[in-house]
Amino acid sequence: MATLKIENLNKTYPNGVKALDNINIEISNGMFGLLGPNGAGKSTLMRTLATLQEADSGTAFLNDIDILKQPTELRKVLGYLPQEFGVYPRITAEQLLDHIAILKGITDRKERKQLVAYLLDKVNLLDVRNKSVKGFSGGMKQRVGIAQALIGKPQLIIVDEPTAGLDPGERNRFHNLLADVGSEVIVILSTHIVDDVKELCTNMAIMNLGRIVFHGKPQDAMDTLKGKVWQCSVERDKLDDFKQQYKVISDKMVAGKPLVHVLSDTNPGSDFRQVEPNLEDVFFTRINETVTA
Amino acid sequence: MFLTFFLTEIRSALKQPMVWVFLVLIALMVFGATASDNVVIGGTVGSVHKNAPHVIAMFTAILSLISLLIATAFFNNAALRDYQHQFNEILYSTPLSKSGYYFGRFFGALILACIPLIGVALGSIIGAKVAVGWLDADRIGPTPFEAIWKSFFIFVVPNMFFAGAILFAIANRWKSTVSSFAGALIILVGYGVSGTLLSDIDNETTGAMLDTFGIRTYSIESKYYTPIEKNTLSPGTGSLMLWNRLLWIGFGALVLVSSYLSFSFRIKSSKAKKKKETQKIVANIPAEMPIVLPAFNTATQWTQFASFFTTNFLSIVKSTTFRILLLFTGILYTVSLIDGFEYFGLKSYPITYKMVDSIEENSIIFIMIILVFFSGEVVWRDRMSHIQEVIDSSPHRSSGSLLAKLFSLVSVVLVLKLFMMLIGILYQLLMGFTFIELDVYIISLLLEIPSYLIWASVMIFLQVVINQRYLAYFTSILLLFFLDILWEILDIDTNMIDIGSTPSLPYSDMNGFGDGGWGTFWFTIYWTLFASILFYKAVLFWTRGYHGTFMDRLKNVKRSYRGKTALVLTSLVVAWLVCGSFIYYNTQVLNTYRTADERELVQANYEKNFKKYQRVPQPKIAAAEYHIDIYPYERRIDHRTVVTLINNNRVALDTLFFSTDPDWDLEIEIPGGTLVFTDEEGMFRKYALGTPLDTNAKLEIVYTGGYKTKGFENEVSFRSLVSNGTFINNWDLLPMIGYNERVELEDKYDRLKHGLAEKARMPKLQSACAEDCNVNYLSEGRADWVEVETFISTAGDQIAIAPGSLIKEWTENDRNYYHYKVDHPSQDFYTFISARYEVFRQKWNDINIEIYYDQKHAYNVETMAEAVEKSLKYYTENFGPYYHKQARIIEFPRYSSFAQAFPGTMPYSEALGYIADLRDEDDNNVVLAIIAHEMAHQWWAHQEIGAKMQGATMLSESFAEYSSLMVMKQEKDEWSMHNFLKYDHNRYLRGRSSETQHELPLYKVENQGHIHYGKGAVVLYGLQHYIGADSVNAALKSFLEAYRYQGPPYPTSLDFLAYLEPRVPDQYKHLIQDWFKEITLYDNRLTEATYTEKSDGKYDVVLEFESRKLRADTLGNEIEVPMNDWVEVAVFKDSEMKDVLYYDRIKMDEIKTAVTVSVDTIPAKAAVDPKQILIDRVFDDNFKTVNER
Repeated sequence: MATLKIENLNKTYPNGVKALDNINIEISNGMFGLLGPNGAGKSTLMRTLATLQEADSGTAFLNDIDILKQPTELRKVLGYLPQEFGVYPRITAEQLLDHIAILKGITDRKERKQLVAYLLDKVNLLDVRNKSVKGFSGGMKQRVGIAQALIGKPQLIIVDEPTAGLDPGERNRFHNLLADVGSEVIVILSTHIVDDVKELCTNMAIMNLGRIVFHGKPQDAMDTLKGKVWQCSVERDKLDDFKQQYKVISDKMVAGKPLVHVLSDTNPGSDFRQVEPNLEDVFFTRINETVTA
Repeated sequence: MFLTFFLTEIRSALKQPMVWVFLVLIALMVFGATASDNVVIGGTVGSVHKNAPHVIAMFTAILSLISLLIATAFFNNAALRDYQHQFNEILYSTPLSKSGYYFGRFFGALILACIPLIGVALGSIIGAKVAVGWLDADRIGPTPFEAIWKSFFIFVVPNMFFAGAILFAIANRWKSTVSSFAGALIILVGYGVSGTLLSDIDNETTGAMLDTFGIRTYSIESKYYTPIEKNTLSPGTGSLMLWNRLLWIGFGALVLVSSYLSFSFRIKSSKAKKKKETQKIVANIPAEMPIVLPAFNTATQWTQFASFFTTNFLSIVKSTTFRILLLFTGILYTVSLIDGFEYFGLKSYPITYKMVDSIEENSIIFIMIILVFFSGEVVWRDRMSHIQEVIDSSPHRSSGSLLAKLFSLVSVVLVLKLFMMLIGILYQLLMGFTFIELDVYIISLLLEIPSYLIWASVMIFLQVVINQRYLAYFTSILLLFFLDILWEILDIDTNMIDIGSTPSLPYSDMNGFGDGGWGTFWFTIYWTLFASILFYKAVLFWTRGYHGTFMDRLKNVKRSYRGKTALVLTSLVVAWLVCGSFIYYNTQVLNTYRTADERELVQANYEKNFKKYQRVPQPKIAAAEYHIDIYPYERRIDHRTVVTLINNNRVALDTLFFSTDPDWDLEIEIPGGTLVFTDEEGMFRKYALGTPLDTNAKLEIVYTGGYKTKGFENEVSFRSLVSNGTFINNWDLLPMIGYNERVELEDKYDRLKHGLAEKARMPKLQSACAEDCNVNYLSEGRADWVEVETFISTAGDQIAIAPGSLIKEWTENDRNYYHYKVDHPSQDFYTFISARYEVFRQKWNDINIEIYYDQKHAYNVETMAEAVEKSLKYYTENFGPYYHKQARIIEFPRYSSFAQAFPGTMPYSEALGYIADLRDEDDNNVVLAIIAHEMAHQWWAHQEIGAKMQGATMLSESFAEYSSLMVMKQEKDEWSMHNFLKYDHNRYLRGRSSETQHELPLYKVENQGHIHYGKGAVVLYGLQHYIGADSVNAALKSFLEAYRYQGPPYPTSLDFLAYLEPRVPDQYKHLIQDWFKEITLYDNRLTEATYTEKSDGKYDVVLEFESRKLRADTLGNEIEVPMNDWVEVAVFKDSEMKDVLYYDRIKMDEIKTAVTVSVDTIPAKAAVDPKQILIDRVFDDNFKTVNER
């Protein structure tokens, strides 16, 4: 049973942006979803955990590995898919994965070949393994990225926005792949796609402005809003007035008309219909709270 | 729309530092070159102003080439900015004008590319203003505004337009920076190719037209410029230059327009490859994730290193840039091989060391590009590919990754080198040359590897620490090119501060890699340690992930600097310092050497302190008996020399002066003499004689001493004493009696700097000289004709040679001993030689012809012996007897490349005739020419020698060169002699254009090669052409008979002319004035050549031509003088000008003349002065194809 324990982690950039504001969190085996809007500090947290950035203060431990002080030890058990995953020119998918496998300490040639073949198969790239990886489409490159993150025997897998650019089929395959490994190790999935978290994660946190604004199970999160979310369809030109009047969680277009979710303890009006809160409602509610707070 | 893009392009770039940095850089370079004597670009010597129009033109031209790399950045940016920012899709979909966008950007970039070159004007103007303070006023001319703007519009604008058009097109087509830089390279290589073509004189015009930058075009136009023309003429638009510029602007415009036409706003959809790959399916793909156990131990690190190395290495080797580099290096090298190794039109065999040298020459710039450019590539590779987060967070060691980068860089250089070696070997085989010395190839390469490692470390260090790719490039280039200049300005001259440099180890077939091995070894260790320190620092600074500012990184470095890291780094530094101290001890304490400025100071002080003794009477050497022991493998020589002095002066002498060489040990024993003075530098001694030496009295003194090699030096300084091929002359061995004028500074500005008055190169020619003719220019009053006997020993496997006949030889203690004696008193000018020789012997009329050669160089030995024989034959017939019983040609290592004549002995560099390829008999037989020249010195210099004053070398060098031509002429058809003469013409004309003082006529030559060899040969050959060889030879012979082996007074050039004049028929009498006593040039051109068929089947050829005679004053001003000369015309049947239809001499007394001649068949070509007898700056216009009227 692995545990990732983060305590009082802080990071302020030279331009004054507080990217990590006293983060405290404990994560154990399983899929962990980290939700947050752009600029919430997710990537800073991910990079810090991946030993690529230093924090100003605080600690982060994976079991007894001090991530900030023993980066080398952590790297031995890390699988990391960064938000931005590029590839070298003039190298094939197989060669690239082989190279990364060596870097991850898999020195036995035969073992490596098997592993690379297995992973290429899993990400459905086996038939293009001898093609220049630079020429791959965005989705294919992303799959190479996923494959490399699984190489070795990672105890901590960090994936930053992994499903961006994947088509639904690929996304499902990826979810299955993560689910395969996710039960035994810690997988941190940083994303702004709420559905990813809903489908995969047993635990989650929501980050905004450098702070954890929610931490818990997705179901618990949704339970906190039970009976408080109301839905209503409005005319587009009325939307602004509507926002003035109610505590709007979100609005999205459905059949050309905005469908609005409103947070309210009581029924706000006859046009409204109570709905089961979904994770998106939780997400927006939490974000809005931090902004207005 | 055009204006919008044009202005945006310029405005945005002007806000960036790049354009300003380069402007300042160029201004600084030119400022330095103008204001300092130590920096020279494009060559300004002697009386050419530091800011002369010619100098400005050269600066501008050369710098416009160098700034091509800057220009690439601007054009590439202009073409790719939107694309790289992925803004193109947005931009292209807006309704903007294609032409406005395209040309606006292009011309904006063009302006930007030109801006840095304004630095030439700034640097020169400011430099000239400032330099007035410390440079001599007459080295600065008026500000040449005309030259400045003309150069700008002749060189900068067209060059940038041409290069820019190509670069812009490439950038738009391939959308990659790498391709743009590769394009820049192609342009540079085009430049190189045209240069190679140019080195062959026949292709000058082609080369000039092909020169994409007009630099060599300008060189050709200005090649015969005199100093005064260099100071006044702005680069004009002579026809060649004009056509060249139009050609390349036109070419640029063509490229620009066609690339515009193919440019489209639509995004190219990358073609889907339809090739169906039959994929082998991997047999057993595991169903479950295979269980692997990562291991992290030493073996892992090696595997990781290997993997890093392979990926880095392959990424470079597979890159377009590298492939283009490789290709062009190959092309350039092949071209240089085809044209190379040539001297006077004759090629040498493709000896391996020559191949190695030319690999070095042709690869150096590419290696620099590879090291600079790819150091950035490998360091930034992960970040450029956006994979750094994955790589950085993987459990590898930074040191392994960086080390792999370092080795991949070096390996890439090796790939280039090996590729060139392969070409070299193929070329050798193609030339039918099978003596391929693989060991020489390989050892040369091994010797270079450390310097690549060192430079690669430095550059990786810079990239890592500076952490800004382009800034690091810039710094690397500064280090590579400007560090040397900086040290020179500061007058620091040691390999210890010149990154990666070691004592050089030139390979010689005779002496292998020579005797500097230990020095090179220690310097290599020293620099390798230095590189390791930098590399270690680079590892510490290496950023994994995001580590903010430099200060943050510095903090990290400090944090990691402890424990093992600190220990390793400290021990490296200590080792480096220890090694440095050891080198310092060897190069600065055990051996001392002086920097250029220190040497000047010593020379100046010597003159200031001892010049007063120059006129004090001293005895002369009458006889010498040498006892010399050479220990070649220790590089040591001991000698004991007994010299008999004679007092030829009218007064008795009580003091003797000796000018000594501080590097040599020396004891002087003088009967009854006491040492009364020694100077601090060890350059001068004074001895008081117990009893004065009376007039005509003799005195025997004994010198004992020698030269010992101690430790190692900064640069092997005395290559005359080496393991195989020792070649020492008597001036090295013995001190000079009296004041040694040769020590004095020559250059007038050097002299001025040290407060010394300007010095005449030679005393003035005097018609009636008394005292002044008592000294000849060779022995300078030290001696007249000397009896010499030598006992010499050397190592058991070597032969030692001294002047004269071999009296006896024996072996003792495994050493070879020889006793030689000169057969006839000779000049006090001889040489002692020792090496492992093979000897080829031949006899001609009791004279032993001996060719001493290295066993590898047997190619031309028989030809050489024949050449000696032919010379002996012609000279004894025409000039008089030979006074030695032997004529020896002796090979010495290529540390110097000349041949020299000592009495009966002619050392000849291994780089010259020994390896000349004489298999094609149509080529100029340079071996014969050089040997005949040196043999001629046995008469001209060793039987008669000129008094030390102007004109002296005409009596030896010009005569020898003439004699050599005459021997050649016995062999050759007279019509093909001009194939050889043209090199003499060129030598003279080029030489006079870089005259540092005033040009003098032949009879007042001041020991200048271009006059006494080049002009002397042309004039004397021309004279015999007009008045007949018999007359010239008779004059020479009678002159020689009058002065042969005569003591003082020595003859002058006027004495010779007195013998010559009676032999010249009246109609040619003026030639003595024109050719010997004045500087006369001709300008002949054939303006019209047509033929008409006559009724009798013959052809009338009408030739219209012009002949002008010009007289140059000593500054190079030319005035036209009336023509009253005989000029030859010829008509040829074939265009190779071999088959002569008509040939006659015509008296020209007008500028324009037309003649009609009748020939039997259709003529192909006609020529005025077809045999190239007259000195004519432009010879090409003497020929014309004859057309039908």
